[in-house]
Amino acid sequence: MGFNKAPTSHAPAQGGDSSSPFSRKKKTCPFVAIKASEIDYKDTENLKLFITERGKILPRRITGVSYYYQKLLKKAIKRARHMALLPFVAEE
Amino acid sequence: MAKKERKGLYEGMYILSATLSDESRKKAFDKITDGITQKGGEIHKLHEQGRKKLAYPIDGKREGYYYVVYFSVPTQEVLELWKEYHLHEDLIRFMTMRTEKVLDSLEFQPIKMQG
Repeated sequence: MGFNKAPTSHAPAQGGDSSSPFSRKKKTCPFVAIKASEIDYKDTENLKLFITERGKILPRRITGVSYYYQKLLKKAIKRARHMALLPFVAEE
Repeated sequence: MAKKERKGLYEGMYILSATLSDESRKKAFDKITDGITQKGGEIHKLHEQGRKKLAYPIDGKREGYYYVVYFSVPTQEVLELWKEYHLHEDLIRFMTMRTEKVLDSLEFQPIKMQG
């Protein structure tokens, strides 16, 4: 028997519709949208969109980047850090 | 299989010390390019990105002079190049890696974020 996603009995009756206060717009991956073949470490202006002010890499649950591109993004940010294009830890 | 010299296309990024004068920096960079050509490689494209502020200080230096070089060199010579770079005094940081294509410009399109 498969795991079909049947709503459980204690699920909210009107859950899922757009009027619900908990529903939010699905984030889409900006790299999928442009069908990026790679993410370049030299492109610091764009990489800065995916790090915090402190210099940490933002999780993809916040940015909406797909699993595949998050891995490329991680590599690009780490390369940029090595070449002192991005900070490891930004001072406040 | 007979040993055949394979060439690979590489992209190298170099940070030279920004405290050097124009002349000595040119000399220091020539040392890098000469190293590539002497190893039987050739340089395809050279981007001089100029003086930039480092994101964090390296060896007490706060600024660096950036170069991006696209070159092809026999694959087994890359390690030799690295050894040279480590002995190079004015080279703050370097990175070489394999690439697929040579970029003509280092300007990128801004990414549109949704939501």
